[in-house]
Amino acid sequence: MEILNTLEPFLPQLLLILFATLMPGLDYLFKDKRIVAFASLIPLIAIMGAVVTWLFTDSWTPPGSSIALVEINLFSGLFMLVFLAVGIIVVLTSMDFVRTDKNQGEYYALILLAIAGMTLVASAADLFVIFVGLEIAGISSFALSGFRKHEKRSAEAATKYFIIGGFSSALTLFAISLFYGIAGTTNISAMGAAMDASFTSFEGSESFALLATVLVLAGFGFKVALVPFHMWAPDVYEGAPTPISGLLAAASKKMGFAAFFKVFLIGLIVTKSDWDIAIAILAIITMTVGNLIAVSQTNIKRMLAYSSVAQAGYILIALPVGTQYAVAGALFHILTHAFMKSGAFMVVAGMASCAIGEKLDDFKGLGKRSPFLAISMTLFLFSLAGIPPLAGFASKFVLFSSAVYGSSDPGPSWLIWLAVAAVLNSALSLYYYARVIKYMYMEKGSEAKVKVPRSTTAAIAISLAMTIVLGVYFDAVMDLCLRAAEAFSNLPIGF
Amino acid sequence: MLEYAWLIPVFPFVAFLLIALLPKRTLWWESGAVYAIAGTLCSLVLSMLVVWSVLNGETLTTDTPKFKWLEVGDFSLEFGVWIDQLTALMLVVVSIVGTLVVVYSGGYMREEGEGRRRYYAEITLFISVMFGLVISDNYLQMFIFWELVGLCSYLLIGFWYEKPSAASAAKRAFIVTRVGDIMFMAGIIILFKYVGSLDFETLFSESAAVAVPTDMMILATALIFGGAIGKSAQFPLHEWLPDAMEGPTTVSALIHAATMVKAGVYLVARSYPLLIHAPESLLFVAVIGGVTAILAATVALAANDIKRVLAYSTISQLGYMILGLGAGGYLVIYANSPGGYAAATFHLMNHAFFKALLFLCAGSVIHAIGTNDMRLMGGLGKKMKITSLTMLIGALAISGIPPFSGFWSKDEVLAAVWHAGEFDSVFFLLWLMGIVTAFMTAFYMFRMWFMTFAGEPRSEYHAHESPRIMTVPLMILAGLAMTSGFVLFIGDGFKGFMESSIEGLLHGAEHESLVDIAAEIFTDPLTYVSLTLAVVGIMLARKIYLTPGFDRSMFSRGFNGKLQRALENRWYISKFYDDFAVKVVYGLSLIADKFDRYVIDGLVNGFAFLGGNTGNFIRRLQDGNVQRYASLILVGICLLLILVLYILPWGG
Repeated sequence: MEILNTLEPFLPQLLLILFATLMPGLDYLFKDKRIVAFASLIPLIAIMGAVVTWLFTDSWTPPGSSIALVEINLFSGLFMLVFLAVGIIVVLTSMDFVRTDKNQGEYYALILLAIAGMTLVASAADLFVIFVGLEIAGISSFALSGFRKHEKRSAEAATKYFIIGGFSSALTLFAISLFYGIAGTTNISAMGAAMDASFTSFEGSESFALLATVLVLAGFGFKVALVPFHMWAPDVYEGAPTPISGLLAAASKKMGFAAFFKVFLIGLIVTKSDWDIAIAILAIITMTVGNLIAVSQTNIKRMLAYSSVAQAGYILIALPVGTQYAVAGALFHILTHAFMKSGAFMVVAGMASCAIGEKLDDFKGLGKRSPFLAISMTLFLFSLAGIPPLAGFASKFVLFSSAVYGSSDPGPSWLIWLAVAAVLNSALSLYYYARVIKYMYMEKGSEAKVKVPRSTTAAIAISLAMTIVLGVYFDAVMDLCLRAAEAFSNLPIGF
Repeated sequence: MLEYAWLIPVFPFVAFLLIALLPKRTLWWESGAVYAIAGTLCSLVLSMLVVWSVLNGETLTTDTPKFKWLEVGDFSLEFGVWIDQLTALMLVVVSIVGTLVVVYSGGYMREEGEGRRRYYAEITLFISVMFGLVISDNYLQMFIFWELVGLCSYLLIGFWYEKPSAASAAKRAFIVTRVGDIMFMAGIIILFKYVGSLDFETLFSESAAVAVPTDMMILATALIFGGAIGKSAQFPLHEWLPDAMEGPTTVSALIHAATMVKAGVYLVARSYPLLIHAPESLLFVAVIGGVTAILAATVALAANDIKRVLAYSTISQLGYMILGLGAGGYLVIYANSPGGYAAATFHLMNHAFFKALLFLCAGSVIHAIGTNDMRLMGGLGKKMKITSLTMLIGALAISGIPPFSGFWSKDEVLAAVWHAGEFDSVFFLLWLMGIVTAFMTAFYMFRMWFMTFAGEPRSEYHAHESPRIMTVPLMILAGLAMTSGFVLFIGDGFKGFMESSIEGLLHGAEHESLVDIAAEIFTDPLTYVSLTLAVVGIMLARKIYLTPGFDRSMFSRGFNGKLQRALENRWYISKFYDDFAVKVVYGLSLIADKFDRYVIDGLVNGFAFLGGNTGNFIRRLQDGNVQRYASLILVGICLLLILVLYILPWGG
């Protein structure tokens, strides 16, 4: 019975992996592949149901962990919510997107495995669990990006992703071994406590800690696509099947942030004054480069990829600010970004299902061809740009204002520049978002009506509803995020 | 009942969503008119129930129900509902005129085809945000809806956006009112700085008034009035309103006569608890109102476009209301009397009905013969009996002929201004301007009516009476224009009703009996002065425009000619703005454009060029690219290490 108690916190992952192993069998048994897709929705919806009951009612709480490897708290719960929701949206869209492809069983199995890895990172309390989670999700995503292996750009994307991913894993692993050498533990909170003591006990350990910090920054920076570790992202987002691009942008990237917050704000909090300026600079560079390059893109998927790069820059603000309020803002933005970005990708996927391209020119006259797709895309893009009362405005508002609040005593006053840079960048981003809207409504294109598959419509409708609801119920959502941020009890509140 | 008031804006908003999002085949009759009518009707019913509750003495001004939207530190943005007598008055106006205009549109917009869907979507959105504006319980919420009605106005003025004049009129309206909006925003920022809240409940309390220094109160109230100058088209920001006539006539009736332009008047009335702490601002309000009233009336004398006459008359009447409010504030402070406040709001309501009526009648005429130019009309009265009769009622109402509604309220406004003269003699001058305006109003309204309906046709046209769906709203509005003045004598009387909304500002004012009010009107010699002037105005119009062979060329000779040209060119104010915009603003924007083009664009394009080209370059070197990505990661790590290990410790 001991073993069962130990396994209890891993139940979500076990359920996902169990269903993943069933998928190829189902694929073999059933001719109608939608059955496979629906089967893969079962564990996602089941766990989602459990998480939602936990987060929004008091009727049930997950069992505590008996081992120090994982810790399930509201912070991890909120991340799980994001991963599962994106998973559902991606599966719904895929149902139509891959309907003519072979090996669909493996496709859905890999999606479930990727989400298992992500949820593991969300609840990890140990560097190695983070690493294992990152690898499970990473390897699944490599394979998913190359799912259409006969398609040249899909295969190319997977290869690039795999090579750079392997490189980054090596960097992360190297950093973990250095941390172990300095702190004598891989448990994140124990590491945070041991760090300070080791600096006084042996000379030069602080420099090693900084080396390890930079390496882990590069390793996680790859996942969340920080400049200059972002070069893979546009190629892969463009080459991968569009629902998978959505998965990468909306979920996989957020997994990187879960790791970021745990390691930097718990494990490395004592050296915060050493890395906060560097990360602040990285955040500003990331948002600026992302937005500037997005301006010149003519492929919507590439544009969305660069916009994701910029959004990562915004979320990164929370690290140098380092208050609970900032973390809540980042969580809020992660939540809203998951829906608005996956929604935008699903619109592109929906168009692809109707044999329309993914170039800016293909959006000409979409307002006439499919009012639903056009209005959804408009709202997603407005939300990404941060127009009230949509979700993107709400979360950006909290995130940016956290830098303003952080810049007053006792935080360093330069934090205000993060807010300034972020606001200017948001203004710049409106340019390329609004251009798509202009193409959809003002330009004349083909007149042929677009018929969007029902499952894709459902996925877009879910994202759309959430994009509006999260913005309108600002206060309630913010309350939840603030409670989740209490996991970082070592940080100041922040306002 | 009042707790359901928040639903009033929701109904039209739902209608807006349905019209905008439903597939085309489910829109039924007239591309969505059904939803628009249903939505506004629901609001009308609910508004009436709310008004009934208010009439029975219920209000919602303390502990207003709120929906908190965002909260950051000590600042929160909330949406709340505030219901008092003033809100009730606006609800009456917006719901009745809104519903009638939407019904009328069912006939008027019939030939628009595909565009009707856009029209009904935009007009229901407008009605929804207008309701949102009048039930706001704080300035920030009000400002948000204020901007949204501006947006809807922009969209609807530019409804025929393929017409260059419509597109530029829309832009003009949007930009000019924006000047006022920025002043409004600056005003509420000042208030927030001193009081720390924008809730009416907090701001209108005595303690809040003490917290704001006197000079800042004057500045803040004057700036808030700046918002009204823009929205209610007061001098010198009034020129956008005549241009706004480029939109469909229904839009002119609803937005640019009956409701949105009243938002500025409403804002001033709403801000009374602040304004009475700043008599200087009140004087400013009154002077702007008086100047606007007479200035706009003069331009209306020479206009030949039927909608322009009505537009200038709207500006002039709005000036009346603003003047009344300015004088009313003096009466509250010095005479402890709600007279001016009640008179101005009374005029607001009456004007909404008779001006909507006049516009819809003009719409009916335009619908029938397809031109706005009165010089091409004439003799329409025989063919369009209902339209000509209802328009006659509207013209009599606005000219101030008893027993039509305009007589009562206009007379009350002028009486209040005269009364305020006891405390500042400037008001005597303003009264004089008001009375001259009254004369001119009667003249130009009947000039319009005679030119349109009387005499012989001056061009070839095939006129016909408009369909029932258009004439029924006309008849209802005509009924209201005839009778709405009598609310002065119903129940507690209009004055008593409005008085309760500013009770806190009055120190136990004595309640006038209805008999006193009536006696005051009919024993005051000033009443007969204005009445005589109005009748003379009508007779004069009849003499000039109805006498066959009357020689009107004397108006275009010598000094008269110059005057007429000045009037036709709207006192050259519009031209001044255009020149100013072309020479000064355009010059500035050219400089900004150069900066933008060479510096900002250069940067953007440079980056994009770099990014795009590196991407292309790398993609061509199939083998090299991944190595390149990897080496970039290494370079990044090295730079970060140098930064963290050497530069930052050295700097800090």
